[in-house]
Amino acid sequence: MQSGDSLPELAPGDLPRQFTSRAALQQHLQQLFPSASGALSPIVGGWAAAQERLAAVDPGAYGRSRNHLAGAVTHLSPYIRHGVLGLAAVRDAVLGRITRRPEGEKLVNELGWRDYWQRLWGQLGDGIWDDQEPLKTGHPASSYASELPADIAGGSTGLACMDAFAAELRATGWLHNHARMWLAAYVVHWRRVRWQAGARWFLQHLLDGDPASNNLSWQWVASSFSHKPYLFNRANLERFGAGHHCQGCPAARRCPFDASYEALEQRLFAVTPTPRRR
Amino acid sequence: MTAAPMTATPMNSPILWIHGAALGPANPALVAWPGRPAVFVFDDALIAGSALSLKRLGFLYECLLELPVTIRRGDVASEVLAFAARHQADGVVTTAAVDPRFRQLGQAIAARVPLTVLPVEPFVAPEAGGPQPGDLGRFSRYWRRAEPLVWQRFKG
Repeated sequence: MQSGDSLPELAPGDLPRQFTSRAALQQHLQQLFPSASGALSPIVGGWAAAQERLAAVDPGAYGRSRNHLAGAVTHLSPYIRHGVLGLAAVRDAVLGRITRRPEGEKLVNELGWRDYWQRLWGQLGDGIWDDQEPLKTGHPASSYASELPADIAGGSTGLACMDAFAAELRATGWLHNHARMWLAAYVVHWRRVRWQAGARWFLQHLLDGDPASNNLSWQWVASSFSHKPYLFNRANLERFGAGHHCQGCPAARRCPFDASYEALEQRLFAVTPTPRRR
Repeated sequence: MTAAPMTATPMNSPILWIHGAALGPANPALVAWPGRPAVFVFDDALIAGSALSLKRLGFLYECLLELPVTIRRGDVASEVLAFAARHQADGVVTTAAVDPRFRQLGQAIAARVPLTVLPVEPFVAPEAGGPQPGDLGRFSRYWRRAEPLVWQRFKG
């Protein structure tokens, strides 16, 4: 494993910079932070890895396929989150790679979301943990559980899709945005859990986790930062998830998502807002 | 970007405080002061309070291994101040971050030694007609202001 060019001399209390392998780094971290759960992510940190990801970005393909779990998403978010790549530098890389504006519009728009969330965080500070607006679900905020049920975090709900997303989150520290939205909607609307509990769980694991994008997206799903709650149904998940979660799902015959949006609104909300779909 | 308290005190031999929002070689503090001692501190209180998983710490560590930086753990402000004393520094230079925790730590450091906070290049240039603080109610409003400025840079 490479270290910086001009290596600082180690003084007492300085942490080591030389490791023979990722396994050695992992062992070091486990000793250093025994309460930190899990193992290293397969996603490698650092500028070199970020450059590889950036070189692979295809803005046109991103625009066409980004909502699909298997779509050409960039995987740049952990590197942007930690300033390995600046948002302005990514913007310039995208603009320099396209020949026509429509090719880059979706991706540039998505970078804009990052900037927007950061600006809001600057305004809100730690208030980003509070509901920005009343919920539009018809349920009082006090009716939502304050803790995340163990079966959700443990990936043992019996719902193949949600358990797969929880396992991927735990193993890799990354989830496709659509999976994040489905998982968040399941936590908040189907399980009636406060969005803050889900947001804290995501921040423990997501390599790109920061309270700006994370909390405000949870609030967007929950409807405390949007005009309507976000809902999905099985048809939506099968379409964008390529349907493979449902094959062999132990709950396929009693799937809680297998209904029309109208039926789900009736079931999940005390009012009948028209849910937001994306 | 929101800045922590900034001083205009001239510095000759600062140390650089590298934090988790600026872990690339283009970090303005590293660019402005090449060769100066730099330190990153794993924030024990934050790691415990947020129950951060090993994945997140490992990702940060791998980023740090590509930077010329001394890695420490503990109380961030105390460690940065001790690092400044260790190198007989006349100040601390860092890079702006939005996180309110950064602002608190910056204040604790600036209470003891001069602190300079360098800005990062913004996504949308702060020009006339750009997004204002009052435009953040919904993304659509922000984007109506921001999008034309972002696309001004496209030379296609």
